Amino acid sequence: MITRSRLFLLTLLALAGMLTFFKIPLASSQGVTIAAAQVAGALPLDDVASAVWEESTAVSIPLSAQIVARPMFPDANVKAVDVRALYNDEQIAFLVTWEDETMDDTAVRVQDFADAVAIQFPLVEGQPFFCMGQQGGNVNIWHWKADWQAGLATRQDVDDVYPDMYVDGYTFADTEAGAIAPVSSYEDINYVPAMAADNLFASASYASPVEDLIAGSFGSLTSQPAEMQNVLGHGEFTDGKWRVIFTRDLQSPAAEDAQFENNQVYQLAFAAWDGANEERNGQKSTSQWISLQLGEPAAASGATGAAAPDGTDGSGGQSSANTLEGLPYIFVPMLLVFGAIVGVAAGIWVFSRLPDPKK
Amino acid sequence: MAEVYNWQLGRPMEYVYEEAHPNRQFAAIFNINRCIGCQTCTGACKATWTFSKGQEYMWWNNVESKPYGSYPKYWDVKILQQLDEAHQTAGRSAEWDPAQTGEQSPYGIYNGMTVTEAATELNTGNQALGYLPPDNEWSAPNFYEDTATKYQGDRLGISTEGAALPVHQTWFFYLQRICNHCTYPACAAACPRKAIYKREEDGIVLIDQSRCRGYRKCVEQCPYKKSMYRGTTHTSEKCVGCYPRVEGNDPLSDGVPMETRCMAVCPGKIRLNGLVEIAEDGTWVEDLQNPLYYLIRGEQLALPLYPQFGTEPNIYYIPPRWAPRPYLRQMFGPGVDQAIERYSAPSRTTLALMQLFRATQTMVFKFEIEEGPLVREIERNGQAWQMYDDTVIGFDAKGREVARLSVVEPLHERPKERLNSI
Repeated sequence: MITRSRLFLLTLLALAGMLTFFKIPLASSQGVTIAAAQVAGALPLDDVASAVWEESTAVSIPLSAQIVARPMFPDANVKAVDVRALYNDEQIAFLVTWEDETMDDTAVRVQDFADAVAIQFPLVEGQPFFCMGQQGGNVNIWHWKADWQAGLATRQDVDDVYPDMYVDGYTFADTEAGAIAPVSSYEDINYVPAMAADNLFASASYASPVEDLIAGSFGSLTSQPAEMQNVLGHGEFTDGKWRVIFTRDLQSPAAEDAQFENNQVYQLAFAAWDGANEERNGQKSTSQWISLQLGEPAAASGATGAAAPDGTDGSGGQSSANTLEGLPYIFVPMLLVFGAIVGVAAGIWVFSRLPDPKK
Repeated sequence: MAEVYNWQLGRPMEYVYEEAHPNRQFAAIFNINRCIGCQTCTGACKATWTFSKGQEYMWWNNVESKPYGSYPKYWDVKILQQLDEAHQTAGRSAEWDPAQTGEQSPYGIYNGMTVTEAATELNTGNQALGYLPPDNEWSAPNFYEDTATKYQGDRLGISTEGAALPVHQTWFFYLQRICNHCTYPACAAACPRKAIYKREEDGIVLIDQSRCRGYRKCVEQCPYKKSMYRGTTHTSEKCVGCYPRVEGNDPLSDGVPMETRCMAVCPGKIRLNGLVEIAEDGTWVEDLQNPLYYLIRGEQLALPLYPQFGTEPNIYYIPPRWAPRPYLRQMFGPGVDQAIERYSAPSRTTLALMQLFRATQTMVFKFEIEEGPLVREIERNGQAWQMYDDTVIGFDAKGREVARLSVVEPLHERPKERLNSI
């Protein structure tokens, strides 16, 4: 029996389904632009309190919990990050700050998760899906981790968090290094399989607290090879606040890295994790796409695309249309929104002609 | 969500990935009745795989004393409670319908929700129910060892009559646990980056150590809690099914599949490990000459652990004869009563097959029985039962004889002059 209420519910469901399926956000923080300030001298690579940062206006970027793909976590803690950006002739730097009640900078015990923050850049023109990109719309992600920061000099180890632990010794460990030698001293790393498999998480030491990654959809996040890791960083926690600097050369030799030039507008997005809240992977807060402006972009362009790496879209940068694999994808959601409006109108029309069961 | 068929539940169920099956499945039978709780299996596994820094708390194989013991602490009580609360919230009951048994529903049909179905029903945002046990819950792996239930009926807790089957009032039993190398692993469902995979050649479930990022979603959502986090590498690790041995690549194996370390060392001879052939649709290809197929699917003597979790685990248990049946039914499903009845008065083939446990560390793919004379006739389950001195012969993957044992063990009498020699 089709009643008014059921039809209304069905129409709503269909509309919600379409919005979800085609990833059309109802609310968005689009329109926010971070203006990167050009400075003449060196960038403050590891000075979060440097006065040079004042040359860039801080932009507050709202974050919300990731609720598109499992695992979801509607109660993510970080609600906003403040961002400043600087660049000179060679490098670009971001200062990201956010409030956090606790400093979580260890991930050694099974229940410990570290605080983290990430910046995401599209590797195609336009805006691929704001969460981890999409097929044919890869993104470059810079991921700073509080535990990597804390372990920069020496990796955190089990005897750091369990100082009273006792062992007779470890097979394959260098006996000169003592009974509780770190795994990095092992003569045979086959029993440290993640290290033997060149997993950056298991490397003997971290070259930077920032991991340089590529993603092209949920579950596809992949670290770039060790020799391509070229994002530097520095984070400090004071007075309930994380201040994290990301730095990289404007131009990167890696094909799957974001590239920056003066007088251009780029897209970027942010994500943050509160370790104390067991946030990790998709259990995080994310922003929508934000614009990043370097210098004075040519007024005519108005394009929002990032500089695409070598011909990903084949358009040679001439086209001002947003394209993904040559598909005018912007029309897809437009068509669907149109379809949805027609659907809702039709629903309301049928609705008005149906009997109300209460009468 | 895809729909997959779970024969242990006798029905299709929801799972994150489409149905896809290995050619052969790693499986084992653990005979709880024979276990002496010596932990030799536990030590063998530790000495083979988890002796390095960051693995101190890891016991890919552990033996816990039920009902109180558990590693990590209270794992099964906690997940059963979550599942029960999910049913209450959804206003559903978790009943088995044992009347509806059939070819592809040997234990009947489970009408409740699995850990993955309950997660969807409750909109948890995760692929399966679960929780992340903190370090203190992993730190006492054999807590409550040998702790029995209290004797009710005497002030001093002493029975004047002793204990008798079918159910002992004061009881405990050993539960031997490794990764179940499930057909529908919840760990693989939980991993947001598809770093966990099930091998096509033997169904062994592994964590890709190059893709793992230590999110611990597998630790959280494996209902059996057999995924473990390693703090020194920031990745999770788990039982690897001793895959070099199963592949026949171990120098000792002579090119044929070999039992895992935990199986091969068992002094109690409780374990039998092998590979069963799996059809494309996931059904077990009938092979009554394969000892695992015969005991699990033929006789239904060995049962899956907590089948209601819905992961289709591949380690099968012969339930202990003396423990209360409701507890056992909760743990092994509705097939418990029949399994105990058949184990108490085993068929001629079963009795001979039981000799094959731990007879060789080479995996037995085929067995034959040579009939022997009647040696004993007694009453079992209220009926006459005959014991024959049959001989069981086991063959490896290449069809070579690797074991030959008779039901009646050969008797060797020590000569008089050596009576006191050791």
